[in-house]
Amino acid sequence: MAEKFISERNLRFLLYEVFDVESLLQYPRYADHSREVFDMVIDTAMKMARDLFKPVLTEMDRKQPQYINGEVKVHPQVRTVMREAGAGGWIGATFDYEYGGQQLPEMIGAMTPTAIFSAANYSASVYPGLTTGAAGLIVSFADKAMQDLYLPKMMAGEWQGTMALTEPQAGSSLADITLTAEPTEQGYYKIKGQKIFISAGDHDGVDNVVHLTLGRIKGAPAGIRGISLFIIPKKRIEPDGTLKFNDVNCAGIYHKMGYRGAPITQLAFGENDDCRGWLVGEPNKGLGYMFQMMNGARIDVGVGATGIASAAYYASLEYAKERPQGRRLSSKDPLSPQVPIIEHPDVRRMLLFQKAIVEGSLSLLMQCSKYHDLEKVSEGEKKEDYNLLLELLTPVAKTYPSEMGILSCSAGVQILGGYGYCDEFPLEQFYRDVRIHPIHEGTTGIQGLDLLGRKVIMKNGRAYKFYLSEVRNTIAEAKNDPDLSLYAQTLEELVEKLDEVTKFLVGIATQGNPERFLADATLYLELFGIVSVAWQWLLQALVASRKLKANCNSEDESFYRGKILTCRYFFAYEVPKAQALMVRLMNNDGLTVDMNPAYLD
Amino acid sequence: MNIIACVKQVPDTEAQIKVKADGSGIDEGGIKWVMNPYDEFGVEEALRLKEKFGGEVTIVCLGPARAMETIRTALAMGADKGIHIDDPALYEADSYATAEALAAAIKGLPYDIIFCGQRAIDDDSGQVGSILAELLGIPVVTMVTKLEVEGNSAKATRPIEGAQLVISTSLPCVITATKGLNEPRYASLPGIMKAKKKPVDIKNAAALGVSGASKAKVVKFVPPPARPPGKIICADDTPEGKAAELVKLLREEAKVI
Repeated sequence: MAEKFISERNLRFLLYEVFDVESLLQYPRYADHSREVFDMVIDTAMKMARDLFKPVLTEMDRKQPQYINGEVKVHPQVRTVMREAGAGGWIGATFDYEYGGQQLPEMIGAMTPTAIFSAANYSASVYPGLTTGAAGLIVSFADKAMQDLYLPKMMAGEWQGTMALTEPQAGSSLADITLTAEPTEQGYYKIKGQKIFISAGDHDGVDNVVHLTLGRIKGAPAGIRGISLFIIPKKRIEPDGTLKFNDVNCAGIYHKMGYRGAPITQLAFGENDDCRGWLVGEPNKGLGYMFQMMNGARIDVGVGATGIASAAYYASLEYAKERPQGRRLSSKDPLSPQVPIIEHPDVRRMLLFQKAIVEGSLSLLMQCSKYHDLEKVSEGEKKEDYNLLLELLTPVAKTYPSEMGILSCSAGVQILGGYGYCDEFPLEQFYRDVRIHPIHEGTTGIQGLDLLGRKVIMKNGRAYKFYLSEVRNTIAEAKNDPDLSLYAQTLEELVEKLDEVTKFLVGIATQGNPERFLADATLYLELFGIVSVAWQWLLQALVASRKLKANCNSEDESFYRGKILTCRYFFAYEVPKAQALMVRLMNNDGLTVDMNPAYLD
Repeated sequence: MNIIACVKQVPDTEAQIKVKADGSGIDEGGIKWVMNPYDEFGVEEALRLKEKFGGEVTIVCLGPARAMETIRTALAMGADKGIHIDDPALYEADSYATAEALAAAIKGLPYDIIFCGQRAIDDDSGQVGSILAELLGIPVVTMVTKLEVEGNSAKATRPIEGAQLVISTSLPCVITATKGLNEPRYASLPGIMKAKKKPVDIKNAAALGVSGASKAKVVKFVPPPARPPGKIICADDTPEGKAAELVKLLREEAKVI
């Protein structure tokens, strides 16, 4: 199997050269850190990925979690991963010092290790990743007593954290959640209900599981205004510190297409009337709280998809360099030796496609991460601006890597031909693993509605306008670079058209036709993704072009030329796809809205 | 207990090594540098002894400015302080000159036990630990896979062909570590943060009173010859014909029979 699963050089390029993570050191929040610290974080994450995550990639796929007598058994390496992630401080890497965190920037403490670990073994990476999300919610919204009770164990990797939202009748439609919580005089709530599709909801790699759960307090209003957030541990902590079973039963696990190293569970709360939950924050505000975690989780999904697509890229690249097959079309001599398939333009096209998706997605995600960091250190209006940008880009940074990651892994399978379809090579696993990403943490359809129906129009389009100005700043810079001005101009025209499409669609909304306004929101999201990643490629090419003008060694030169070539590829092969989307989006015929479902029979 | 761990920075095991065109060394462009894996076992064992008996772990490293990263890695794992021997006169040092510089740096320090890797994975000479012990006038046990320290002595296990030697030694001594001794820990994030603030002394050859003169001189670096292409025997399509052709080639071309 290919050794390489992610490019450290590319990570350093994004961190130091494109997004200048060192510029954050000027803020008091990050004053204790340094380039040296960041480098060691990257080195250590790479080392852990190679030693702990990568070696069990295939095995965790083949030996799926098992449901035995109400308990879920997972691969023994899960316990090691959780322990090392805890002992190393990775679970709380970006948390404030006062909560036992390391106060690292998101770019270094979250984005970088998540990308590295998920490229090495996505299933293994989600156990600590989910715990970070759940612990983050406790940091933000729970009271001190609850923080003291749960955070140390979760951050040490001894207890798993989960987010428990979905119910059999309420998946995408969270307004229909029914898990009930009945107040008691002792302060806790008596919980009853069911959750499904809960990742890592129960397993023997940890000593306890802490569910951050959405439910309704008895008598709460219907819809999203009646949803509250609870902490419900699998085992509750008795006053003497011992753990007691809290009537959270795992009713079974699902058998999945991919991402098989992590169990997805069905949970029953309070079957024996002895399940206790503790309210987090104020009643009926749960969905808002949960969305803090959800936004982070959506970014993580983008990173996970990019990681898998990255591993697939390096596996197919290695194969393409070694596999001799056929001759160049210009060669007529049948006795000449066969050439490695990387010599064939069609294979090169597929490899460039993979590289364009992987590195373009990672750049967009790193951009989001930078906005997140800037939000943390800014004040007042600026803080709000960065928050708005992150909010706007979250559905894009979740969906583009997820949807395109599938196509990218598919190209990887294709490069290996028959071997790509067989399990001696890892491509088929990557293809299965990556397929989850457009589904979990809000499907692509939901992301489309979120982008067009909420994010673009919120605060009178303030986030959207700020986004356009960010893209235009890069365009203005690239116009001064004679090697890139052509692409700058192409992107400028594309942004103009995106704006036209946006105004057209918002116009439909103002006419009071929400169905038609949002019918093709997914396509709008797809268009938005192409524009955003084109922007990121222009940004990367701009930095590469600048570096090439200074002296650089032969490895660096090849790296930067590769960046510029891939930017050219993106503008030549991917950007034109936006045209077709715009044609459709400018048509308001309501084809899917008005159709009769019987016509599909 | 005062423990010293000697470490060397070497190219990552996955690095593609290219010899410079003039044969004067390797091309360092694009190489990722890491702590010599055998030295990691030494650092880990040093940390375990410290955790058991208390005391301090000092890292000693010879190398150019970039070797500081390796010292910081050891400090991030939990070592207390470092000595960085950095002098261009020593960059080409052979095993003897290296051991001499290390010995000079260590001589003035209190020490009960000194760890080295059994060899460095770049030049593979495997001599520094032993020469260091000789220069300090203390015992050495090489290739150690298990170590038990008690009072003023240690029992070290060393594999030999088909068996294991258990060797008792007095302290202080040099132990050269090999795979099997332990599982080195990862640097933790809090450890990385603390490493920055731990003291590292930088010393040159003059400060140590060594000349840096090597006893061995590297004449030239030569990459291994490229493997010649294989040959498919297809003179005659029968097994007998192929066998005859093979024998002929082995005798006349390869000259091995």
